[in-house]
Formats: sequence, C-alpha cells, structure tokens
Amino acid sequence: MKSLFKSKPKTPADLVRQTRDLLIFIDTGGSDTKESKRDEKMTQVSKLIRELKQVLYGDSQSEPVSEACAQLTQEFFRENTLRLLILCLPKLNLETRKDATQVVANLQRQQVQSRLIACDYLEKNIDLMDILIAGYEDIDLALHYGAMLRECIRHQSVARYVLESEHMRKFFDYIRLPNFDIASDAAATFKELLTRHKSTVAEFLSKNYDWFFAEYNSKLLESTNYITRRQAVKVMPICFFVVFIGPFAWAVGDILLDRSNSAVMTRYVSSLDNLRILMNLLRESSKSIQIEAFHVFKLFAANQNKPADIVGILVTNRSKLLRLFADFKTEKEDEQFEADKAIVVKEIAALEPK
Amino acid sequence: MAMEEREGECPRKPVSSSADQYPLDANCYKILDEIGRGVSAIVYKAICIPMDSSVVAIKAIDLEKSRADFDSVRREAKTMTLFRHPNILRAHCSFTVDRRLWVVMPFMSGGSLQSIIASSFPDGLPEPCIATVLKEILSALSYLHGQGHLHRDIKAGNILVDSNGSVKLADFGVSASIYESNLTHGLGRSSSSSSLRLTDFTGTPYWMAPEVIHSHTGYGFKADIWSFGITALELAHGRPPLSDLPPSKSLIMKITKRFRFSDHYEKTKDSKKKRFSKSFKDMVGLCLDQDPSKRPSAEKLLKHPFFRNCKGPEFLVKNVLLGLPAVEQRFKGAKIHSKNDEDDEDADDDDSSSGENVKQRRISGWNFNEEGFELDPVFPSDQQETGDKMGKQVTFGDEIVIQEKGSDGSPQGSNSSPAQHETEAASAGVGIDMGVVLGSLLFLRKSLDDQRQQVAQMIASIGGEDALETSREDQLMQAIEKLRVEVESERKKRVAAEMELEFFKLQLSNEC
Repeated sequence: MKSLFKSKPKTPADLVRQTRDLLIFIDTGGSDTKESKRDEKMTQVSKLIRELKQVLYGDSQSEPVSEACAQLTQEFFRENTLRLLILCLPKLNLETRKDATQVVANLQRQQVQSRLIACDYLEKNIDLMDILIAGYEDIDLALHYGAMLRECIRHQSVARYVLESEHMRKFFDYIRLPNFDIASDAAATFKELLTRHKSTVAEFLSKNYDWFFAEYNSKLLESTNYITRRQAVKVMPICFFVVFIGPFAWAVGDILLDRSNSAVMTRYVSSLDNLRILMNLLRESSKSIQIEAFHVFKLFAANQNKPADIVGILVTNRSKLLRLFADFKTEKEDEQFEADKAIVVKEIAALEPK
Repeated sequence: MAMEEREGECPRKPVSSSADQYPLDANCYKILDEIGRGVSAIVYKAICIPMDSSVVAIKAIDLEKSRADFDSVRREAKTMTLFRHPNILRAHCSFTVDRRLWVVMPFMSGGSLQSIIASSFPDGLPEPCIATVLKEILSALSYLHGQGHLHRDIKAGNILVDSNGSVKLADFGVSASIYESNLTHGLGRSSSSSSLRLTDFTGTPYWMAPEVIHSHTGYGFKADIWSFGITALELAHGRPPLSDLPPSKSLIMKITKRFRFSDHYEKTKDSKKKRFSKSFKDMVGLCLDQDPSKRPSAEKLLKHPFFRNCKGPEFLVKNVLLGLPAVEQRFKGAKIHSKNDEDDEDADDDDSSSGENVKQRRISGWNFNEEGFELDPVFPSDQQETGDKMGKQVTFGDEIVIQEKGSDGSPQGSNSSPAQHETEAASAGVGIDMGVVLGSLLFLRKSLDDQRQQVAQMIASIGGEDALETSREDQLMQAIEKLRVEVESERKKRVAAEMELEFFKLQLSNEC
C-alpha cells in the first residue's frame, strides 16, 4: 500500500539487490553500528522481503506478473541471495521469517526461460541443505527451515543429496521430537523424501537397506509413542507401492502377478524380524495402525516365494490371523480392502508347512 | 532460543515466544474441568503446575479419530504457533499424550460467544457489543488474510472472550493457506483469477458462503467475509439465520413441519422486533453480497462507519461478561439441555475439514433481506434467475467423481500439500470438476446421517406410541438409507478415480 507514494517504482531486480545489500549488512553483524541504525535496516529488510513476496504471489488487488517473477528469480539466483537469506533468518522477526519462507518456497517453482534455475543454484550450493535440516534442532527456526526444505527437495538432485547424506539418520530423531508441530513437520519432510522421486528412493533403499530398515523398525515401528508408530506404518506401504509397484497396484492381486521385480521388497518381505513387527502392529488396539499394518502385512502373505521360516510363522499363527481378519473391517466399507483381505486369507489358509 | 529472539530485535517484533515455554509433558498439567466437547476433541480447563499453576485450556484431539493423514492437524498446530496477533488465539505448545494431541492454549474464561449467547443472550447481543466484538474479529481476519490464510470457519462458536474483555478468533482446524496449497503460478497453469482460490470443502454450513457450497471455481478470502456477515446476524439474533431449517427441503421439510425441530428463530423475530442501526444493516449487507467480488475485504470493512465508535474491552466486561456463569458451568448446563447442540461448542472437531460433525443442508442461495435483517433462502426449486451464478446443482450418477482435497490428505495418504497443484493440473487435464461434486457428496452424506440420527431420536422420543407415525418414520428412514447407499457408491467411484489421480500426480512428479 505504502509504495503507492513512492516516487519511482522499484524493478523486481532492484528489490532483490537492495534486499541483498541489507542482508549482507545484517549478516556481517554490523556490531559497530548504532542500535537505532540496525533497527532501521531491519525494518527496511522486512519491508523489502514483503515486497518480494508481493511480486511473487500478487496481492488482493493484483495477480503476479510472470515477467516480473522471472526477473526477480533471475536476480535472486545470480548471486548468493538465498544463502544470505537463510543465514540471516534467525535475525529476522517472525513476520519476516514467514515472508522469507514463502518467498523461498515460491522461487523453487519459478522458471526462467523454462529452466528451474533454483535447482541449478542449489546444486552448486548444496551445503545449504545442511543448514536447513539442522533447523529442526532449533524450536524457533524449525518450521521455517522445514518448509523451505520441503520445497527444495522437489528437485530430484537435491532430494538425492539429502537422502544420501548423513542427515537422513537424523530424521529418525526429529520425527520423535516432543514438540508436535516440529515433529510432524519433520515427518512430512521424511515422507516427501521417501515417496517423491521414485528412482532416487529406489536407489537409496537398495544402497542403504540395512541401517535404514533397522532404524525404521527399532525407532519408528517399535516406538512406544502412538503417533510415531502410526506415522511410520503409514509411510511404509506408500513408499513401497510408489517406488516398487506403481500406484495402480494397491490391490494385492496385482502383487501376486509379481510385477514388483524389486530386490529390496523381496528382501523386506523375507525377513522374519519384519514380519514379527508387522504382526505386532496388527494386534494393536488402534484401528488406524491395524489397517495400515495390514497394507504392509499383505505383502508378506502375497509373496509367492516365501522362505520356510516365514511360512512357519504364518502357519503357526494361522488360526489367530484368520480370526483377526474375520472381523477386520475398515470404518467405511472399502471394496479394495475387502478384496485384499480375501486374497490374504486365502493365501494363509492354503499354506502348507515346508 | 531466548537469546535468538532477543538478538533479532525489531520495532514490530511480537512478544517473544520464549517467555512462555510451556512444558511438553502431560504430568506438568492438572486437568480441572471439561469445558467443551466435539466429535474428536475435548477441551479442558487445566493448570500448568511449573508455570505458577497458571490456568490454561487444553484441547485434546483424538488422533485415532482423525483422518488418515495428520496434515490438517499439523497445519492447525503450525498456524497456531506461527501466527501472532492480539485477536488470534495462540497455542503455547502442542505434544502428544498417547493417542491424543494436546494443544495447550491460554484459557479464555468467558468461553465462546456462542455459549455466552446460549446462556445469557438468547435473543442476541446489544448492538454496541456486537460492534466491539466484530471489530476485533475483523482485525484478526485482516491479519490472517494478509498472511495468505483463510480461516474458513468463522462463527460465534469460534470467537472466544477472556475475562478482561479481549476477543480472540480460535479453531484453525480447517484453515488453509494459499501459499501451501496453491502455488501454481509460473508453472504454466492458467491461474488468472483462480490463484487465490481453494476448492476444499470445509466449514460449518450455516455460515458457509454460497460459492463455497456451489461454486466450481473454489473460493477465496471473500468466503470468510460472508461467514463474518452470518456471524454478525448470529450475534444479533442469537443464532445463525435459517438454523431453524433442515438440510433438504424435499425430504426433511416434512419432518420439520410435523415435529418442529426449532422455530426459535422465527419466534424471536416475531415477538421482539429488534431495531438495528442503518450502518449495522448496511455493513452486514455488504458482507452478504451474493457476488464475492463485491464483498469488501476485511481491511476495507474495518473502515466501515459501523465500527467507528467502538467501545473497548471493558465495555464487554460490563455488558456481556458480568453475571455470566463460569464457562465450565455453562458447558455442563448445555450438555444437559441439548445434546444436539454439542457440535457448536468451541471444541469443534478437527476433522470438520471435510464438513463432518456439522449440521448441513442444501440451499442454493441466500438473499439478504436488509429490511428484515435476515437471510431468505433460495431453494434449488426456485432458483431460476439466480441459478446460473451460484446454483449449479450436483448431479449424481454419470459424473466421474474425484476427491479434491489434496492438502488434507487422501485416504491413501500419499498426498502432501506441495503436490496439490499437480492434483489440480491432472484433474484439469482429465476435464472433471472434482471439488464440488465431492464436497456436495460429503455434505449430503453427513446431512443424511445427521437427519437419520435425529429421526431416530424422534422415534425414540415418541416411544412408538403411535404405530402409524412409526411406520412413516420407517419409510423415511428407508428413504434416507437408500440415499446413503447411493452416496456410498459415489464415494467408491471417487476412491477409484482418486487412485487414478494419484497415478497422474506421480507421473507428473517423476517427469519434473
């Protein structure tokens, strides 16, 4: 609104340059400057970042102009503005942090001459991901850095970096943080990492099978915390199906056709330990967890090359399992679920101890 | 973190969050009383022992009853953490206690305006009080909208009053951010005027804007303005307009006539011709314009003459809060008196994002009658002229139905908000209009459920003393049941279509 009274309108590139200059000032501390001067600069930078946001998102009066967005994006990534913004975020006030987060999120999707130049920039400045991920350890920054991070991993190369970095292990702790808002943000990012880029996730899982599933089982699926278990057991089948089977193959019948052709999944459903954990989840009193667990359990039952020990366990527990499935219902009627259940029941009933 | 906050000094820095680091441990809290209850949440009055036993409200949300994904719960927690405004209820913290999510909030001793009205102002609040309250809410709305957020459930039940007369907007269970779910600019999708729009179907129907119920194009900030106008009427009359009317004219009106659900609103209207100022009527009239683009923004509305000479919070203390029973007493009273009104308590369910837990009905449009200061319903059957603007009816049967609520997570849960634009793009490609159909279906289903329940209660209440009556009830029940089956089969189709959508989304994301 106030900019109506400005003498000459700033170009989007001007906005970025001025923001960058101020951020450099803020970043270097400006400790020898007077407090009043610093306050003034902070106010200015807040205003500028809000203006950047207005260019990118438009406002109640106007829609964003793609030409302006492109100019802004180009200037933003021409130099190190993103790094400065991320580094200075702790020094900005809450409202400006939110604006900055929205600006960074938007920039990830802006194309300049049909290129996502944000992706090019991030590939060269991939260490920024380290800063963003570490943000989960800071109550004040977690939600801002987390939101930026989720936007950045839209780029496959960035997601690959995060998956293959040491940070991946930390997510098992972040998801279990006591602050619900932060833990659930981390869980959302974790899920995004494991389900967004099919080929990258497949590669990651096959390279990191051992530690990943060990952690997944012990820290998440066997957690004493309800919400951790529930979120974990939910992500797993999505990840498997998305990565190895394809979304049309939710039906267990399709798995029987053995379209999966995936070493990771075969390995997973051949593990007695995994089966034990899933069977425990099936016994939970929480309906939601039971249902999700079933979506993983059905993979064990559908596996056409079950190892002898898996068959043994299933046979031993056959009557219990069949009894469980007999009154196993989703809250709302679900044909797919019923069909899957019928197949699983049939498979288990037909098992012969090897 | 305390240090961090202080370093970032800035003139307009809000109160530091570190001042209220509430413990993330249930053992630190002592629950005193239940003060509200919804389908999947209970609100308690409690004290936080390590914080000098300060009084807090704890909203305990049953996660087991929450939808497959926690996205809406996550969003609410995030909203309540990141929004700082004197008229917006903040969360001190949130953490899980077994299957419940505890959201610890300041205790607002006056409770919700809905409960205040129900307990002490059955015919509505005095106009100066209404102006004072509404101005505060507008200020909150203006902030929210400036942040790119829609509240989507503005109503008296979500307006809380503290003992000092301060007014706060609460319950962000269904709120949405245009930044999170609609980042479609620059990706080539023709976003023109739709960029600030959402097509989720949420809110509480009596307060819902016509375009939310009907439109194919989704809705924007102006839907909140409509609900704000309805809330103004609610405060003025003691209940929202048309709340005496049941959801579906064709089937249910008959029941209404026979049993008189509630003709309360009618009575008060007739017996006490309340006089309202011209400026109040004008203000509400602006909010209830059928055309969203003609409704003023929150910021603009703040400058309306009606808000010119508003009183301060003390005025509310004297004129509204004085002599009011304590919120926990009111809650107990309400529980005894009317079980059916429970979902109006401020413990509204978080799942209401899909329009559950609320009474719903179908009205194709509303004409604001400024003279009588009421809304006149336009039913589908008499909507010829107004029809094409807002009244597209849902057709059942041959349409393909796809769920369009990406940000809330699909039943399969593989949906997350950043992916939503692809959902939309994909669906646009297939050429199906999804949100509306789904929304209306959910709407209808829930409304049928509610009606069925009420009919069942009525049957119980007449205790089968009249065999003929009962058999008619049975017929109605069967009719409802039939419709329910129909809705259910639509739902299945939707699920199937949704899988397809999921596939398109993946294709898109893999191509990226």
